[in-house]
Amino acid sequence: MRKTFAVIRREFVERVRTRWFWVGTILGPLLMVGLIGVQILLAGRKVGERHIAVVDATTTGFGRALTSQLGAAVTRFHVVRVPTTPVPDSLLADSLLGEVEAKRLDGFLLVGDSTLEFGTAEYRGSNVSSVADMEQLEGTLRRLVFAARLERRGIDTLLVQQAEIRIQLATHKVSGRKLTGESGVQSFMTGFGMAILLFVAILLYGVNVMSSVLEEKTTKIVEVLISSLQPFELMLGKVVGVGAVGIVQLTVWLVSAKLLSGVRTSAGVPGGFQFPQIPTTTLVIFVLYFLLGYFLYAAIYAAVGAMSSTEAEARQAQVPVQLLLMIPYVSFFGILNDPNSSLAVWMTLIPFWSPIATPVRWGASPIPVVELVASLVILLVTVIVVTWLASRIYRVGILMTGKRPNIKELIRWVRAG
Amino acid sequence: MSQPIIAVDRITKRYAGHTAVDALSLSVPPGVIYGLLGPNGAGKTTTIRMIMNIIVPDSGSVRLFDTTGTGRDHSARIGFLPEERGLYPKMRVLDVLIFLAETKGVERRAARAKATEWLERLGLADWRLRKVSELSKGMQQKVQFISTMLHEPDLVLLDEPFSGLDPVNSQVLRDTVVDWRRRGKTILLSTHIMEHAEKLCDHVTIIARGKKLVDGPLSTVKQQHGGKHVTVVFDDGGGGSAAAGVLADRKLVAKTDDYGQYAELELAAGADHQEILRRLVGAGVRLNKFELVEPTLNKIFIDLVGPEAAHAAAVPQVEGVARA
Repeated sequence: MRKTFAVIRREFVERVRTRWFWVGTILGPLLMVGLIGVQILLAGRKVGERHIAVVDATTTGFGRALTSQLGAAVTRFHVVRVPTTPVPDSLLADSLLGEVEAKRLDGFLLVGDSTLEFGTAEYRGSNVSSVADMEQLEGTLRRLVFAARLERRGIDTLLVQQAEIRIQLATHKVSGRKLTGESGVQSFMTGFGMAILLFVAILLYGVNVMSSVLEEKTTKIVEVLISSLQPFELMLGKVVGVGAVGIVQLTVWLVSAKLLSGVRTSAGVPGGFQFPQIPTTTLVIFVLYFLLGYFLYAAIYAAVGAMSSTEAEARQAQVPVQLLLMIPYVSFFGILNDPNSSLAVWMTLIPFWSPIATPVRWGASPIPVVELVASLVILLVTVIVVTWLASRIYRVGILMTGKRPNIKELIRWVRAG
Repeated sequence: MSQPIIAVDRITKRYAGHTAVDALSLSVPPGVIYGLLGPNGAGKTTTIRMIMNIIVPDSGSVRLFDTTGTGRDHSARIGFLPEERGLYPKMRVLDVLIFLAETKGVERRAARAKATEWLERLGLADWRLRKVSELSKGMQQKVQFISTMLHEPDLVLLDEPFSGLDPVNSQVLRDTVVDWRRRGKTILLSTHIMEHAEKLCDHVTIIARGKKLVDGPLSTVKQQHGGKHVTVVFDDGGGGSAAAGVLADRKLVAKTDDYGQYAELELAAGADHQEILRRLVGAGVRLNKFELVEPTLNKIFIDLVGPEAAHAAAVPQVEGVARA
């Protein structure tokens, strides 16, 4: 046990001493602060003025009303009316396009009688990719057309104005009969953030274990180590030591995320992105699955390191492992979209995928206790079995040189006395 | 005689298509420097690995300290310097030594003190906070040697300890090994350089192609396998035909290496060197020197394994490859 602790200490101390560790640890929170800073900057910035021409081909006077009301509804829109004949005038269109190109005009809206009849209109401009501009333009147009059509049927304008109400759909996540105070966007952010963090962390530290195994193998120091330590003690020390580094780094990241999630209320970032609140249960689930997932993949990576002889060979050999871990990562969108679909349930139960899939699913919606327990038990059993298999391969592999073993040879290694 | 520190009983290790070690038995008594000698690919490293239980023999057994348990179980009492050496290149010298001592069960603080002491003794004190990768190869080898000795083992196994070392550092290592023996510890070292073995070893075993050719105390081996040798230095340029006549008598001289002014004679079985001297003087040969000498270990080695070594060199060396 004391020997294993010496290995743990070495793995931990040597890693914490590297520049890589400090850069990685500090960079995480810095990125988060930066993300929030950018949001504050964006929210505080004055939204641009727009110059829009209404090309009026209507015969009813709707175009005139539209011009004045569009300018009144959206104050940053400066609207001028350009009357034209019902027949499209290509010369006029050309000259307006010239104006847009010269940046004297942001765009022009083509309306005709069909706008009122069928609700069709056309906008050409340089700002079509601005979601805010287009939403406001379309929204205002819809309201005006709606009102004009009602008026045409003889309904009082005042009545229409009174009947009109703007709907704001607020989305709130429900968890265990309680409102979580989390919006849909924030749920998504939590899930997305956890998927990235888990994927990166498990992969990063797994590969770290692999390199560590490989370093001892290529420098041949393993022969000395193995003469005083059981191979399993060495492997365990390595996995735990690197894992401890991971826990420290993740703790720094998670604590800063938790602190930053409080920044919202005090700084009051208006609109758009808000840093999601992270409930403690989510943190617990996250850490639990990170640990189990890490142990599972670290054992596999240790075996991959042990069966390779060079860094290049190991990089190649670990590709299937990486792909295996990528499956739940790329499915996070599907899980968030429908957290109770059979995809999400299977991902929660399959041990190679549950370390990422379960926390993501948990972030989107509470998981039935039975499923959660089943997921944990299956994962735990798999960790034990895989660690055992990996240690058998590791034991033989670390003293091997030469070509990488095939499956048949691996089975023989596992079986060997 | 006391019980052997290492008792190897007919261990055999086979690899695909060849036998690395073939029913080899060794008995290393306590308090000696024991030389495991043999040409490249003879099975020295495989034997040492089996003694350390790094690889498991196909058959046969190894007993250490006259008790049960593998090399790993006794690791606190054993220092092991493998043939293929390595350290953590990115670690500081002192940290590597402390870590390796810890794996032998030495407490951290004691390990630090010991490591500092050893680094000073071997002239590496100024390097203790440097990274291993900044050290020259010779220095790294000394650091490895320190890691072998740091926990003051009762038994030290050194696999080709002098390879790659310059004469000065080689001497430092030799002195340390001799000092260790003086303290009553046991050292088993493998080498293919007979000059080292001849100066250091009390006991030798010569193996080739996995089989033992000879073993015993160095003096006994020399007596039994070297035969009797005489060096003759002539006063008059080759001694002329008079000397040649005596030297050609196969009843007296089994073999002559004549260098002109000087000749090495191997006496025939049962021959008396006094008889040769009398015959030479009687024949009127003028002598500057007539000396009874011991054969060198090198000569015994070449005589014994010469043909074997030539054969071993012809097959690819797979000794370093462990297969379970």
